[in-house]
Amino acid sequence: MTAIFWEIAKRNIRIHMLRSTLAMLGIVIGVVAIASMGILGNSMVSMVSASLSSVGDSVIVTPYSGGGGGMGQGGGGGGSSSVSLKISDQNFQEIKRVVAPNVATPVYSTSDHMKIGVGSDDIVATIYALPTEDVPGIMKLQAGDYNDGNSGCLVGSTFAKDHNLKVGSRISIGTDGSKGTLRVTGIIEERGMSFDISTDNALVVTPEWFENAYDRNKDYDEVVVKVKNGDTATVKTNIEKQLNKQKDNKVVSVTDSKATLSSIYSTFGTVTTFVTAIGGISMIVAGVSIFNIMMMSVNERIKEIGIMRSIGTQKKEVMSMFIYEAAIIGVIGSIIGGVLSILAGYAVSALMLGSTKYLLTTANALSVVEGVTFGIVICLLCGIYPAWQAANLNPIDALRHE
Amino acid sequence: MEPVIQFVDVVKIYPLRAGDVTALNHISFEVERGEFISIMGPSGSGKSTLLSLMGCLDTPTSGSISMSGRAIRNMSDEELTSFRRDKIGFIFQYFNLFPLLNIIENVSFPQMLKGGVNEEKAREVLRAVQLDESLYSHTPMELSGGQQQRVAVARALINDPDILLCDEPTGNLDSKTGASIMELMTELNKNGSTIIVVTHDPNVANYTNRTIRIVDGRIAA
Repeated sequence: MTAIFWEIAKRNIRIHMLRSTLAMLGIVIGVVAIASMGILGNSMVSMVSASLSSVGDSVIVTPYSGGGGGMGQGGGGGGSSSVSLKISDQNFQEIKRVVAPNVATPVYSTSDHMKIGVGSDDIVATIYALPTEDVPGIMKLQAGDYNDGNSGCLVGSTFAKDHNLKVGSRISIGTDGSKGTLRVTGIIEERGMSFDISTDNALVVTPEWFENAYDRNKDYDEVVVKVKNGDTATVKTNIEKQLNKQKDNKVVSVTDSKATLSSIYSTFGTVTTFVTAIGGISMIVAGVSIFNIMMMSVNERIKEIGIMRSIGTQKKEVMSMFIYEAAIIGVIGSIIGGVLSILAGYAVSALMLGSTKYLLTTANALSVVEGVTFGIVICLLCGIYPAWQAANLNPIDALRHE
Repeated sequence: MEPVIQFVDVVKIYPLRAGDVTALNHISFEVERGEFISIMGPSGSGKSTLLSLMGCLDTPTSGSISMSGRAIRNMSDEELTSFRRDKIGFIFQYFNLFPLLNIIENVSFPQMLKGGVNEEKAREVLRAVQLDESLYSHTPMELSGGQQQRVAVARALINDPDILLCDEPTGNLDSKTGASIMELMTELNKNGSTIIVVTHDPNVANYTNRTIRIVDGRIAA
């Protein structure tokens, strides 16, 4: 295409600077809306996956609570809790056998009152108990050592921070310390949300201490299987096949963390698409504005088009002139929008998620590229009809136009 | 020698809702290379239609038109456009320069459409139409009517067309400037250009060698 039409398009934008700037502004807003919404959605997913990915290989077995048969085989043992849905040792042994060579860890859990130091406030927190040899496979420590004795405990990082606990600190458990005192031997690294056990705000003790303190005897609250061999879905099916033989008398509920994770990701994906689509509406509005100014541009220049056509300008050349105009507005507006959307994404992430550490990711870069591309494509699409109309004006009528 | 324009029994009918309008009714004439012709007639006589057909902006309903030896009836829009660019120079009453382009760019425009720019050629034709060199970088709005029409003539000449078609070239100029433009036309004709002027003005027609009069879509004399 002849360079002169590019030049004319540029000059036309320049002499109608206000109008062109307003049209560009529409595109800028559209790109920012799409890209920043995408960034927000991606950051949300990144944030959640960072806190969930460590539990992506777990299968969690809990007593079956739905229907009416949950108490059957699984409810043996008779614990102290009023809600006595438990997994019996027999069932645990079956799970252990079915999942081998993967490790099945039996977990006790309860909530209890506790005090840290003399005269401190009474607090309530979750206490987990699991075999000492299985603890390193499930959690890592940021300080101290794993329990080396009955009266030692591990504390979650948030719990330690909130209550100013260090290795060696003492915690009295139970109302007025009735269950005894535990010494902190280690502080657990932050694990975030998890499907198996949430340790960030909890204590982890030995099963022996727990059984003693809460009068429990191999009646577990849940069993966590860390799947290193095979996939979580197969392990889940195998456990269900073995323990829930009777359809109307189920013993356990089995949660495949990977499946749950993928369903969470898919939900976040849908949310991201939805918010991006809302951003897309502003882009459509911007497109209408581009269409409008392009139609104005054509209507103002009908006579000029007639002259061009009469002295030998081809239809496609007239069309190119208007397409260039739409493209210039689209490219400049979209690039400005792309740059601003990084800032907007930063602001939105900081305000809504409270963190901007997930900003510099490939997915976010892709969101910006998508927004910019969408902006340019919308401008070109909205420029096509006015350009086509200009190119197809009858030169004689166009020349007579006043 | 082959005529540069040949109309044989040309009819042009505009189909309108209220009924067909016959703008040209069996018109035949020839224009030889190097002629300087005026076309005169009252309003609504068919002058503009004749100009559109000679300018290859339209095709006849029936009859044949041959321009520079080519029959235009069956030419596609793209072919007609290229033909206009290469063989016809248009000069309009209202100058019709491009306001976004400067004088040199306006004159070079038809050259650019052909794919080559020769600024020296543009300067040469601008000198031939006697436009002051200091005005070349100005925009059309900064020039007087007479100066703009000289630029329009230069633009029409830039691709060395076979025919110059002028639609009331002095209609928007005072008599003195109009006379100077017609003198320029006469000089161009002396140098070999074939010029056809559509006009109401007998003074303009006086500069030409032959006048074709149109009345009610027919040639009167």
